[in-house]
Amino acid sequence: MDFLHYIFAFDAEHPLLFTQFYFWGFFALVYALFALIMDRVPDSLGNKKLHLRNVYLMFVSWFFYYKTSGLFLLILLFVTLSDWLIAQRIHKTKNKFWLCLSVAIDLGFLAYFKYAYFFTDAFNDLFGTSYSIVDKIILPVGISFYIFQVISYTADVYRGRIQPVKNILDFGFYVSFFPQLVAGPIVRAEEFIPQLYKPFHLSRRAFGIAVFWIINGLGKKIIMSDFLAVNLIDRVFDNPLLFSGFENLFALFAYSLQVYADFSGYTDIAIGVAMLMGFYLPMNFNSPYKSQSPQEFWRRWHMSLGRWLKTYLYIPLGGNRSIGFGTYFWVTVIALVSASLTGWWLGIMIPYAVLIIAMIIVPKVFKDPDRLKLFYSNLNSFITQVLGGLWHGASWNFIIWGGINGFGMIIEKIWRGMNWHIRFAAMTLLTAGLCVTDFYTNLPVWRLFAVWAGLVWFVTAIRYIYFLCEGAETKFTKALGTAWAILQTFTFITFTRLFFRSSSNLDPATANEVAWATAKNMVNQIGGAWSNAIIPDFLWEYRWVVAMFIAGMVIHWLPTNWKRRYRLWFSAMPIWAIVIAVCIAIAVIYQFVTADVQPFIYFQF
Amino acid sequence: MKPYQVLIFIAVVMGLLGVLYKAFPNGQLLHKQPSELSVEVSDNDTIEEFPIFAEAEIEEAETDTLIPQEPKVIIPKIAVDSTTDSRVFLQSFYSSLSESGNKVVRVLHYGDSQIEEDRMSQQIREALQNKYGGSGAGLLPLAQTIPSRTVKQQLRMNDRWIQAAQGPRRYLVYGPKRDQRDDGLYGVMGQVAVMNDSLVKGSETLTAVCTPLDGRKRYTQWRVFADSSVHYTFAGDSVFLSGQGKVYGLSQQSDTGVIVDNIPMRGCLGLVFTKMDREQLVSFYREQNVQLIIMQFGGNAIPSNKNPGTIQGIVKGLRQQVQYLRTCAPQASILFIGPSDMLTQIDGEWTTYPMVPYMDKLLRKMALEENIAYFSLYRWMGGAGSMARWQEIGLAGSDGVHFTRSGARKAGNAVAEWMLEGSEN
Repeated sequence: MDFLHYIFAFDAEHPLLFTQFYFWGFFALVYALFALIMDRVPDSLGNKKLHLRNVYLMFVSWFFYYKTSGLFLLILLFVTLSDWLIAQRIHKTKNKFWLCLSVAIDLGFLAYFKYAYFFTDAFNDLFGTSYSIVDKIILPVGISFYIFQVISYTADVYRGRIQPVKNILDFGFYVSFFPQLVAGPIVRAEEFIPQLYKPFHLSRRAFGIAVFWIINGLGKKIIMSDFLAVNLIDRVFDNPLLFSGFENLFALFAYSLQVYADFSGYTDIAIGVAMLMGFYLPMNFNSPYKSQSPQEFWRRWHMSLGRWLKTYLYIPLGGNRSIGFGTYFWVTVIALVSASLTGWWLGIMIPYAVLIIAMIIVPKVFKDPDRLKLFYSNLNSFITQVLGGLWHGASWNFIIWGGINGFGMIIEKIWRGMNWHIRFAAMTLLTAGLCVTDFYTNLPVWRLFAVWAGLVWFVTAIRYIYFLCEGAETKFTKALGTAWAILQTFTFITFTRLFFRSSSNLDPATANEVAWATAKNMVNQIGGAWSNAIIPDFLWEYRWVVAMFIAGMVIHWLPTNWKRRYRLWFSAMPIWAIVIAVCIAIAVIYQFVTADVQPFIYFQF
Repeated sequence: MKPYQVLIFIAVVMGLLGVLYKAFPNGQLLHKQPSELSVEVSDNDTIEEFPIFAEAEIEEAETDTLIPQEPKVIIPKIAVDSTTDSRVFLQSFYSSLSESGNKVVRVLHYGDSQIEEDRMSQQIREALQNKYGGSGAGLLPLAQTIPSRTVKQQLRMNDRWIQAAQGPRRYLVYGPKRDQRDDGLYGVMGQVAVMNDSLVKGSETLTAVCTPLDGRKRYTQWRVFADSSVHYTFAGDSVFLSGQGKVYGLSQQSDTGVIVDNIPMRGCLGLVFTKMDREQLVSFYREQNVQLIIMQFGGNAIPSNKNPGTIQGIVKGLRQQVQYLRTCAPQASILFIGPSDMLTQIDGEWTTYPMVPYMDKLLRKMALEENIAYFSLYRWMGGAGSMARWQEIGLAGSDGVHFTRSGARKAGNAVAEWMLEGSEN
């Protein structure tokens, strides 16, 4: 009885995760019946056979979601039903009302479960009230992903990009397909729904690549993410003051790798598992730390979300073509929220007023279409970044994170438009200003910025001199420039991660406080308690952690062609060799699960 | 590929992994010594029920988690008196509180990183001061490298803010060799800041600005514990220092009532007191009417010592420290707070370090034999595995060793309540 309960009942303590044996046992059973349907049901049944497969996988997905989230399954079912019905109406009437209704229902669920605390808090801050939410709200797993997925469906139907799905069971399968249900990729209807009507096809090479993705994902998740987190990153982020500036900085960079390995590892497994069942999910990460600019980073990082935001937020806002009501609305909301958060009403409302005036005047004064495009796209992409930040979690630190990313993109675009004389002058002024500020305030945060600016200034000066000497661009200088751009982008993105981490098991007010204190303490340690003397000791004592970090970054930075080549090489191996390789890989990965934890060492006293 | 072929592939892989698992039951492919942390509890080792006095709901969860897959180390049985309420050894402290009159009664809270940032001491201070009067955060080092929750400390030299590391050279009795002194002159905080020649030559002044973080001035007097060659004046929350010599600490305190000093020693086993100059300790303890010394150590011995013999040696060393402190402050009671529950990964599972319960028992035994009070943080938390429950509810950090702010608050309050309850009996 206990066994049956364990197998079938919802247990919040034991969700179905790709890294657990239970999931793979579940998958093997699911696949057995799947194979039975695909191999035993005659092809002559045509669509009926596909329909049977889709219905089967839908029920399996519902069970998967029930095991993970219990009765929140009902929300998934409700959203499925409401969007399916509304999409039919949209198709028939072409009335925008139905689209708005569908989006309102979907976002209503998201707002209640994910943002109720946050909005109540913001409302109270803004109007001095003290409303509170009595019950503790538990966030249904994956809600942010499937809500965005159903919105994409009704929006695409409204735009006439796809026909509404006739059969609700097929639609239910699209919304709930288990490999990508809880952590993406966010699959747009137009990418996935046509696959519902295609017969199963898995080439020998695709099979090998699917297996590769699964093993690759497990390795990323367990070795690069969990191992690094448990043995160093978590303890530093939990208590930065116990560690020196160097250790904090190392942990921050390692956290960048961890976040990537964790998230992309999960989606790699999802892509592999889906592929084994003949479904193809979109790529979600494309070696994002190879990016040479923040803008490129967002094209390589969580690509399915980036595409979603671009299609359903950035472009409707006007993209690089215009600004409209949406832009004014969101600029106002962001200004109000920021002012309420910081209490700097004047400091934020004055720039806000200047911006609003600029938004009115610029389109009338500037006639240069390129400059106008830049203005529009900067504004709309900044809003998209902030709202994208909010999607990740309902707390201030995600807004700050989104905002810094937005500014980073804008500054990089402006930088690219400058000539070398202006670049050098601007960098010199900035560095001098930061050094003077650091000297007089002696605050770690300014020390950190001053050192960073100093490094950038140094490289800018070399490049400027090279430019003045009219040095030719060779393969070598180009490679150096690329490496520098990648390093700068990686450093910038890593810095934004200071604000990315928050504790989900705390109530939002505490989570904000903890996230802010963590960022502050880390900056204080990096800028104020740097200790060269302990670096060799740290590198030696944490040699496995350091080695894993370096290995992770080296693999990440391998040329795309190499990666493609070894993926293809793996997939082309004989099946028996793949079996052996998989067993060896899993056994090695398991060593990291069972490895003794790195003892706690104090280097700073 | 056909689905049934994929299914065969999955079945073969799972089968082979099953065979591998059979061949290597603990999952370790390479021959690894059975985890050094694996231990065996002797069959005769009955678990004594210590009275905790403060929290009645503790469940004894000590036995199961220690069952090893491959026994290696045998933890010997210890007989511990489970009936004595060790607060009986705080009676002299309780009496001093009620008889203090116009004098201050000082409580020194020494501990490891678990009490950094004024954790736990803050709650003990609040509870004692609420009941017996007194105010102020007590002793502060001249250069505060770890921010406190109670007082914000900043240093200025010649009208320019500086970092703690840029200030006078610090020596720490619990630090690495390079930061230690040969003469043992560390003062009672176990750390000293030396104002050097350059400060004198340039006629520089050093200003320590120590602002209480609750926004209220909670103290009525400043005290500076330093060599006579160091000159100082006060204005508001600032102390202006000049001259040359050693500064052992600053203190924001009241004229009467209870002063509780938070003295964290990061990474320290607690075996350092005998390295501190006896005369300095004696004179401070007497002059400042130190009536209670709290020692909160033991946690740092756990991660790197897997052998009961080593733990016994460390407890023996701690016993010597207790005896030494007693000779330095014969008037004072001593309270020992044992380590909290601490977690590590053993063969992939987060588990209590097997040496935690053992050390806890040894410490209690030592305390009772030395006539000092003992508070078992480990048992109060709920015994083995309780740290994992604390992590789940945000009371402990992911390292399985340190409390979060709220966890430290809860633990500090528990110790304070336990102490005060004893004073009423």
